[in-house]
Amino acid sequence: MNGESPLEILTRETEQINPAILLAEEFMRRDAADLLSAEEIKRADEILRIGEMEIEMLQRHLAAFVRLPASPSVRIPTGF
Amino acid sequence: MSVLLTRRPFLSGRFGERLSRSLEYLRFKARSQNAIAAHNYVSAVISEQQKYAIYREMFPKEWERSTASFYTRGYYQKYSERINELFHMVNKKCFPLLEYWYDDPDNELDNFAIGPMNIGLCCEEIDFESIHISYAAAVVFYYPDDAWDFLNYRFQVSADDFPAINSSPHPNVWERDGNLLGHLLRLIDHSTGNPWLDNSCCQPADWFQFDRETIEDLSKEYNDALAAYEKLKPLDELIEADPRKMLSALIDFWNTGKLADDLRLILTKVEDLNDKE
Repeated sequence: MNGESPLEILTRETEQINPAILLAEEFMRRDAADLLSAEEIKRADEILRIGEMEIEMLQRHLAAFVRLPASPSVRIPTGF
Repeated sequence: MSVLLTRRPFLSGRFGERLSRSLEYLRFKARSQNAIAAHNYVSAVISEQQKYAIYREMFPKEWERSTASFYTRGYYQKYSERINELFHMVNKKCFPLLEYWYDDPDNELDNFAIGPMNIGLCCEEIDFESIHISYAAAVVFYYPDDAWDFLNYRFQVSADDFPAINSSPHPNVWERDGNLLGHLLRLIDHSTGNPWLDNSCCQPADWFQFDRETIEDLSKEYNDALAAYEKLKPLDELIEADPRKMLSALIDFWNTGKLADDLRLILTKVEDLNDKE
């Protein structure tokens, strides 16, 4: 963990949108009567796999955060 | 928001379909699109698309003619009208798909069970009058009291008129040499290898995936199951003609695994005739 706080690790991560969200938008705009080709289904399956991995990873991180012990902040937020 | 498109003529046809599509899009945009919801949506779209492909490949003429909506939900609400149409097509042309599902619009058919075509001997009351006479006769090996009562009523025969029945069959009866008595015993024993005949309501249902290969396999097996019952007809006729002789032969076959030569000849002849028909 090289002494970094969870917040520092989080802020360093690249920001990206789960590809399933982008594909859902794309699918919603297309006509359902235009059937997907085998290649498109293959691509969608791959995106689903990546999207699922990302969801699982985030769920694991969230669970890890929940387990973290509380620590006092060095700054007191305004209003407290 | 609910709009009954199918009941308003001015909302039918192309305009109705475009309106349904727009409503679907608005519902989609109004939902909070987190990754999990998007993942579920994409999975649902792929599943629907695979069903459309099945529809188009298996029933191309009906697909061309169909005006069922891709967007409006059908009776099975998880699916579009077009997919509902496919379910009914499979039900009508392939096998009774909707037997288990017809009464609940919330049901999903991505994985489905099939209704057994055989009698669950351990938990069903057997209606002897409505089954093949050969099937009823062979029930003496499993539920002798009920079966002999029926045979006595029907042919005035009783267990005392025949040799004692062994508690378990001779292993040779299961040999698949094509003889009709073996076929009958495998049918009653639920060991035909055909899911329509081997499933029963006494055991947990087998689940099948809704894909083309499974539908084609189940269609073939459904026709085979119908043929398996049809195959009993000549045996029924032989029992009706000479119940004592045929019941003796059946019990001998169960006890010894052998068929008398004259009977083997008769059964082969009726089977040949059956095959020609």
